[in-house]
Amino acid sequence: MDLIYDILREAIAPTTAAFALAAIGLNFHFGLTGLLNMGQAGFMLLGMYGYAITVREGGPIWLGVIVAIACAAVFGLILGWPTLKLRGDYLAIVTIAAAEMIRYLGRSQNLNDLTGASTGIRGNDFKGSFEMLSPFPDSQVTFLVWTFHGTRSTSWWLLVVGWTLVALMLLMYWRLSKSPWGRVLKGIREDEDAVRSLGKNVYSYKMQALVIGGVIGALAGIIWALGASVQPDSMGRPTTFWIWTLLLLGGAATIFGPVLGSILFWGSLVAVKGLASLLIPETLLNTQELEPFSLTLVGITLMCLVIFRPQGILGDKKELAFND
Amino acid sequence: MTDDVFASVPQEPGAPKPDPIVVADNVHRHFGGLTAVDVKHFEVQRGAITALIGPNGAGKSTFFNLLTGFDKPQTGDWLFNGHSLKGVSPAKVARAGKVRTFQLTKALSRMTVLENMRLGASDQSGENFFVAFAKPLWKDREEEITAKAHVLLKRFKLYEKKDDYAGTLSGGQRKLLEMARALMSDPEMVMLDEPMAGVNPALTESLLDHIVQLKQEGVTVLFVEHDMHMVRRISDWVVVMAEGRIIAEGPPHTVMQNTEVQEAYLGAHMDTDLSEEGS
Amino acid sequence: MTKRIDRRAIVRALIVFVVAALAVFAVSTIGSTAMADTPDAATAVAQTSAIHADAETTEAEVTVDDTAADAPGTNRIAQNVFNGLVFGLLLALASVGLSLIYGTTGLSNFAHGEQVSLGAMLAYFFATQQPVSLPLLPWEFVIGWPLWLAAIAAIVVAGGTGWLQDRFLWSKLRKRGVKMVQQMIVSIGLSLALLNLLQWWIGPDRLRVSIAIEERRQVGPIQLGDTTAVSIAISIAVLLAVAYFLLRTRLGRATRAVSDNPALAAASGIKVDAIIRLVWIMAASLAALGGILMALYDSGTKFDVGAKLLLLMFAAVTLGGLGQPFGALVGSLVIGVVVETSTLWLGPDLKYATALAILILVLLVRPQGILGRAERVG
Ligand SMILES: Nc1ncnc2c1ncn2[C@@H]1O[C@H](COP(=O)(O)OP(=O)(O)OP(=O)(O)O)[C@@H](O)[C@H]1O
Ligand SMILES: [Mg+2]
Repeated sequence: MDLIYDILREAIAPTTAAFALAAIGLNFHFGLTGLLNMGQAGFMLLGMYGYAITVREGGPIWLGVIVAIACAAVFGLILGWPTLKLRGDYLAIVTIAAAEMIRYLGRSQNLNDLTGASTGIRGNDFKGSFEMLSPFPDSQVTFLVWTFHGTRSTSWWLLVVGWTLVALMLLMYWRLSKSPWGRVLKGIREDEDAVRSLGKNVYSYKMQALVIGGVIGALAGIIWALGASVQPDSMGRPTTFWIWTLLLLGGAATIFGPVLGSILFWGSLVAVKGLASLLIPETLLNTQELEPFSLTLVGITLMCLVIFRPQGILGDKKELAFND
Repeated sequence: MTDDVFASVPQEPGAPKPDPIVVADNVHRHFGGLTAVDVKHFEVQRGAITALIGPNGAGKSTFFNLLTGFDKPQTGDWLFNGHSLKGVSPAKVARAGKVRTFQLTKALSRMTVLENMRLGASDQSGENFFVAFAKPLWKDREEEITAKAHVLLKRFKLYEKKDDYAGTLSGGQRKLLEMARALMSDPEMVMLDEPMAGVNPALTESLLDHIVQLKQEGVTVLFVEHDMHMVRRISDWVVVMAEGRIIAEGPPHTVMQNTEVQEAYLGAHMDTDLSEEGS
Repeated sequence: MTKRIDRRAIVRALIVFVVAALAVFAVSTIGSTAMADTPDAATAVAQTSAIHADAETTEAEVTVDDTAADAPGTNRIAQNVFNGLVFGLLLALASVGLSLIYGTTGLSNFAHGEQVSLGAMLAYFFATQQPVSLPLLPWEFVIGWPLWLAAIAAIVVAGGTGWLQDRFLWSKLRKRGVKMVQQMIVSIGLSLALLNLLQWWIGPDRLRVSIAIEERRQVGPIQLGDTTAVSIAISIAVLLAVAYFLLRTRLGRATRAVSDNPALAAASGIKVDAIIRLVWIMAASLAALGGILMALYDSGTKFDVGAKLLLLMFAAVTLGGLGQPFGALVGSLVIGVVVETSTLWLGPDLKYATALAILILVLLVRPQGILGRAERVG
């Protein structure tokens, strides 16, 4: 049963962890605060560039991470400074445009020396120092049903780091969302003006949420890059839309929603592709068409989710039952 | 209910009060060609209950928005406790001790009633991002806040509902919740925009008592109300607005006899559907 | 309450953009001097050819090849401005529909870009001499209609998808009272689905709707080809027709009334739902026409042309005032000219970025756009 193995493998892969992280970040934006950030992929891309370029130029890992975080934080501040006063759908358009600008700048020939333009940065240029830290053997390792390489690229080492990071961020989300700080954000999600009338500085809270979520997005970018390479075009609009889909699938404003959503999303993508290639004959759907076919289903899933089950799998039906 | 402090106050628009907590001058707000608020001078007596009345569209809610920083006038200045609040953000106005409620209630639907109440409290250091991580730092204050919320909820007959989502409350209950929430921060002055609209008659009595009790606790109350019966019951002083201007002031029993007030009401009533009031 | 943008926000926006522009400029000059330093001419050539190859494969090229403009007697600036106006006209065809939808329903339709691609793909489907097929069907066949017939068929089918969408999706959502933000995310899902459906159906390659090679003639300081001239004529004629419809016909006036105030329009006996259905059909057909003309003008198209244009359309619509169809026209022309003339200073791979910068700037400074009136708040 190769298919089941493939699904299980995808369920814990570094990509899945990266997307879970990005979705946790988005959960701070949308789930807690109600901010329509449609540029999460831009934060991820900044994180990748920040880390990969620093490490490529000989910087240590910790500096790379700090640079990535700083890039995302500064981007969040610059983006939020003028936009957080805008109406929700305007914010969506501005964030999407800003994220696309990051991508266009990154792939621009003018910045070739820095970002490698549209080819991006090869994995070998920045993965070395991270893989050197690996405590795992430099060979294939099998644990339970899974076989991964010990240290290279999609490795046990990256898995452990990635999922540990996910766990830490979940812990942080849990702590913060249950704190008075999180309460203010939830209030803003429900009605900004009410929260203002209670003496809270709404603008500052929105900014904090935007930056926190964006920084988590940047960490997600690092994990992604360590499992693959830095590719500006892999962080386009579709990536943001996938993150939205999996967040809404798992359940926005829930603690485990992003993780469950990510696992289900990537697992079922593999499942759909596998089943389709098993069940639909090659003449009707060739291998080249599998990818767009399954992504078409992703789009339809997103639509159905929003229409029929906006609270997602883990969300509380009651919470969204009333429309006022 | 006649209060001595108002004995010496002349019954005319913009009358000076012995101990004003709010003083506004030349506040002017227009939307395009429409003048919504044009107040020459306005004072609110500290520790008293002042009613702001006027026909629909008189500019009462807009004036509330201006005084609390939710809207910006074209000209004008206004003081609270002697400090100018011109250009001050709504949040700072609230923190200065002047808290308001809204005509169209703003219950935070997907939060429980109790969480709504807790959000109203001030001085919760856990609302700071970094402090929020360390529960021991804010746990004690949270308990105090919760205890206070319970007291207020009991007073406003919402205690049984405390764990329900605010979105499930009825329109009248939301009004109550909003008022209770405004009281969580111990404000010096509350501004209530039609607090009684939609509240069932049995409850309005106790609501009126709450407002009177607030006054006894030293809180200044400014409220908008259409029901003249309520206005007469509790207010110490009535200010009448029409077409953006203050046209009359006086004690509740005499102010309605003013011919200008009657004209304003009659004139407005001809093209206003009264049945929609208080919805 | 008030959501008005105060002066502080404007100042902030300006500061952010001046700083960002300076930064981009600085980095790009550093980058280009670094490139100029490369001693090996071969690498430089390799780099430029890489740009071209790149533009071929990944960018939907929206201009005539820049090298053509270097012919004697051609003024580069005039040519770029002209290209920009043409691009703007074609963009306007798509943006007007987006604007009408926003005006009548309040929806920011993220799937509108795919409507543009759909038009181009359908035209290819009907016109090409290559064998084509439908998804999940094993037969291949050649339709090979003449271009004009293929274009008309494509527009009709695309208009049909507009009808379908409103009949089975958007009208249902409106009835259920689904919130605008939710509807917007639905449109994002739809865009994702359509984009991939098109790729699945037509394939990921760059396609030519018409194989005729356009000859360019020198007209004053600019070069102009026949197809381009015809495209300009068609788009101007269609835009005039739309304007006539909106201003002079009863149905058009009803449409504007719905745009102004749906509740009032409904109260005065206008069938709001029927108007909205009509708007969807019109918007989808206009977008398709835009897609087809753009495919001819660029002498090529791809399943994701529309996706690349979406943000430019938003820029145009916002610039002109959300929900103002004539504003969308002006906005499109401005965006077109800006995008094309920016290549005089910045690399061609940054021209979309320029337009996005303008979009952001406009949203920040004047959310109601250039021609729009101030929104009634509260
Ligand atoms: N944001 C706005 N834009 C344009 N006009 C406005 C705006 N806000 C209020 N108005 C107008 O200003 C006038 C005053 O409105 P306001 O809401 O202050 O009246 P009000 O006295 O509170 O009436 P009511 O008793 O019905 O609540 C009205 O004519 C209203 O239409
Ligand atoms: Mg009012």
